[in-house]
Amino acid sequence: MDEELRFHLEHKIEEGIAEGLSPSEARRQALAAMGGLEQRKEEIRDARRVHWLTDFVDDVRYATRSLRRTPWLSAFIVVTIAVGIGMTATPLSMLDALIFRPYPVPHPGRVVTLVSTTRDEAYGDFSHAEYLDLRDHTKSYDGVVASSTLLPVGFVARPGETPTVRGGQLVSGNYFRVLGVDPQIGRAFRDDEDQAPGRDAVVVLAPDFWRRDLGADPAAVGRTIRLNGADFTVIGVAPESFPGMYIFSRPDFYVPLAMAKTFSTNPEKSFFADRDDRELAVRARLKPGVSMLEARNELTTLARNLAREYPKSNRDRGAAVHTQFEMRTRGNDLNWKFGVIFTILALAVLLVACTNVAGLLLSRARSRTREIAVRLAVGAGRSRLIRMLLTESLVLAILGGLAGVAVAYAGIHFMASLSIPAELPVKIPFRLDTRVLLATVALSLLSALACGLAPALQSTRTNLVSGLKSSEASDVERGPRRLRGRSALVVAQIAMSLMLLTAAFLMYRGFHNTLLDRMTIGQDARDHILMTRFDPRLVQYDAEQTRRFYRLLGERARQIPGVHSAAFTQDPPLALDDPGVVAFVPDGFVMPREREAFTSLMDSIDEGYFETLGIPILRGRGILATDTADSPRVAVVNEHFARHYWPNGDAVGKRLRLDGANGTPVEIVGVAQTMKYRDTFDRGIDFVYMPFSQHPAARMVLLLRTDGDPLQLLPPVRGVVHGLDANMPMLETRTYADLYRYATVEGPGMAIKLVGTLGIVGLLLAIAGLYGLVAYNVSRRTREIGIRIAIGAKPADVIRLVMGKGLALVAAGTAIGLALGFGLERLMNAMLFNAGGTDVMVYLMLVPAMVLVTMLAAYLPARKATRIPPTLALRCE
Amino acid sequence: MSKPADLVQGTLDLLLLKILALQPLHGWAISLRLRSLSSDVLQVSEGSLYPALHKLEQEGWILAEWKQTENNRRAKFYALTRLGRRQLEAEAANWQRLSAAISYLVQLSEA
Repeated sequence: MDEELRFHLEHKIEEGIAEGLSPSEARRQALAAMGGLEQRKEEIRDARRVHWLTDFVDDVRYATRSLRRTPWLSAFIVVTIAVGIGMTATPLSMLDALIFRPYPVPHPGRVVTLVSTTRDEAYGDFSHAEYLDLRDHTKSYDGVVASSTLLPVGFVARPGETPTVRGGQLVSGNYFRVLGVDPQIGRAFRDDEDQAPGRDAVVVLAPDFWRRDLGADPAAVGRTIRLNGADFTVIGVAPESFPGMYIFSRPDFYVPLAMAKTFSTNPEKSFFADRDDRELAVRARLKPGVSMLEARNELTTLARNLAREYPKSNRDRGAAVHTQFEMRTRGNDLNWKFGVIFTILALAVLLVACTNVAGLLLSRARSRTREIAVRLAVGAGRSRLIRMLLTESLVLAILGGLAGVAVAYAGIHFMASLSIPAELPVKIPFRLDTRVLLATVALSLLSALACGLAPALQSTRTNLVSGLKSSEASDVERGPRRLRGRSALVVAQIAMSLMLLTAAFLMYRGFHNTLLDRMTIGQDARDHILMTRFDPRLVQYDAEQTRRFYRLLGERARQIPGVHSAAFTQDPPLALDDPGVVAFVPDGFVMPREREAFTSLMDSIDEGYFETLGIPILRGRGILATDTADSPRVAVVNEHFARHYWPNGDAVGKRLRLDGANGTPVEIVGVAQTMKYRDTFDRGIDFVYMPFSQHPAARMVLLLRTDGDPLQLLPPVRGVVHGLDANMPMLETRTYADLYRYATVEGPGMAIKLVGTLGIVGLLLAIAGLYGLVAYNVSRRTREIGIRIAIGAKPADVIRLVMGKGLALVAAGTAIGLALGFGLERLMNAMLFNAGGTDVMVYLMLVPAMVLVTMLAAYLPARKATRIPPTLALRCE
Repeated sequence: MSKPADLVQGTLDLLLLKILALQPLHGWAISLRLRSLSSDVLQVSEGSLYPALHKLEQEGWILAEWKQTENNRRAKFYALTRLGRRQLEAEAANWQRLSAAISYLVQLSEA
């Protein structure tokens, strides 16, 4: 349009020159005749009837111009919004991964999880026989699938190599068909491939494994690979879109349930026969039109039938159907709870950021009172003006949102940097996917509205007469009302940031308190222990070979120079794997009618265990080398267990019967100190130790204690293992201090850092907000203060005058913040720390610090007010 | 919008369509052509010409295209579309009818 009109103009000028005018005169006349280019353009646009769009473009252009006029303020606002949004997007990505991201299968909403329930366990697995019953006797589903947990599997790429560990999953033959996952090459399992135990040695590879270990070779289908020493034929590769059904880990391959023998997890049980060998997670696809209620009723009836039919294994055992959402937000999972708490806190920071921006925009609007008044006076519509002002905050919010995405990336990167000491790689699946980005955009728009609407509404309600009279409106006549809004913002900010800081401190103290109760391994022990895990099943040892291997390994390891003591355990305390469970009846106990046995966590250990880890035996004795497979069966229980079952007597000498009232008798020979077994949140739980010789397990951890750096033991240990069997992989070799640091410092430390960052950012914003308010107040009352000084007010009087208001706000904010903090403390105690009570120390430290800092923010502008020269006040008029 | 006082109301579209029906032209040439064809009787101001052209373009009656002029400068040329030709015929017929009626009325002798 521009070019066309310019073209026309030039012709007109040339015509003028041709008529004998001077060039400048020709130009003047031509321009006059055309009546100004801009006006022509406007008319053309009007003819096109696209006001709103061009208006918007104008507004944006105007907004950028007017924002550029106050670059520091604009930059501060953008940074504030960026921090607020980035800090919210980070936990949102976490919540998304932990709760909302659907299963990577078609129609994920119809996939439900079936769980086995008992009095003690709400989300139990099923045994193979139970799975068959569920599959064959339910009518609510288009298919019922079973899968094992991720099993460490020895994979040999070329014959003769030492096996490396990969994660494999046993799945039912219909797994891929029912979930609706089509392999990218080859085929999935046939339904009948999980029927005959050991017959169909076929494997479907996961895409990652196929790429990493087989170089994405399309000819891999049809090849054989060696898993746990057995040959498996590759029949297909799962699609890239299907990374498995877990949140944190990805299987490397899938094998049919019928091949369970090769991967057997529980050597004491028979996978196919034992109804109580519960190792399978069961999922099902609801038929269209079948409601959850119908499915639940059907399953309850089925579970009741099973309990009647198999009283030995299924008495008191129910079953339940859960949606994906219910499974992910179940009560015994800490991750999502932390995600929720973190999100709430982050939204609080966003709120503080928005209130701050709203405050800044308000004072900005005030200095533009005259401009707005002029616009109103020359006939701008109020809605048009509001639109213009909102466009300004929209531009700010979009810039802030973009920068916020960068902040979010940094936050997610920080979380992903956590290395988790697990045997199989753990993926931290937090990422900014479309859903999170959309939520972020929505947040930006929402914050634009939240920040901009109030200032826009208020500044267009200007009194024209007074607005036009002075460059800065005197808000004497309506000051209190405007100030009330800003005061409320500052109170909210102080309250929020106090709450955030409380949360950060509570977390810090909470995590620390969990370590103060001397229920973890002592410093001396944990700094000098090397651990390495073995699984002889990976090289096809039978029970006898396994026993021999561990006996020789123990003997030789103890002879390594520098080794003080050595021990075997299934899992050292605070390891990531869940400890084993033992069912028992204390001898002489009459079980309540509805239950057959109690359960407790347990570990199989050898005679070096208590000494190596430095766990004190309080009464009786520990496990001895003389407790062998042929001697009477014994156990050591922890203090908590002993008090739990014999509150008034001594547990030593009492007997337990394993599995049920008629099971194998085991004598309690000692009581050990109660420790934390699963994580630092443990608050004393029952625990039973049994001698490894009497309660053998395949996967064991060797612990070696020395005086110096435990890693120096690594070469000799390698030599010993190599001497026993060159093919035996050493899984998960690390110092115990590594494990301990993760469980006690790094994991919780990350949480504390994240929440602490939120708290500090919140506090900085609140300080800026308070400073801004008081400074604004001072500038508003310059004249008044000047007059007061002129007639003899002392600096102290002025400070009192100006700060009085700030003090009141700080007091109100602190009170509200305290109330919020108490509420949050109860929430966190309930969700994370399993604790009650109030941590008074936190408040004693935080509240004075908070008051001091905020007072300072109010004092600085107040002091400035005392220096107002009276002459300035008089010149103000 | 300033109205072209020198043009009969509502005839600008018709004139533009007619001129463009003879040959595609750019805006400046259109204003020249209009003046010369009407022996300086009809004139159109830029304020009316360009909005009218844009309106015609939006209606789909004419098509704009950037081209080189004879003295090698870029200008936006307007050409009649098929739709525009039909519109021209309709408007021309309308004008004939209207002007015939008006001429007839104006020429009635005041007996």
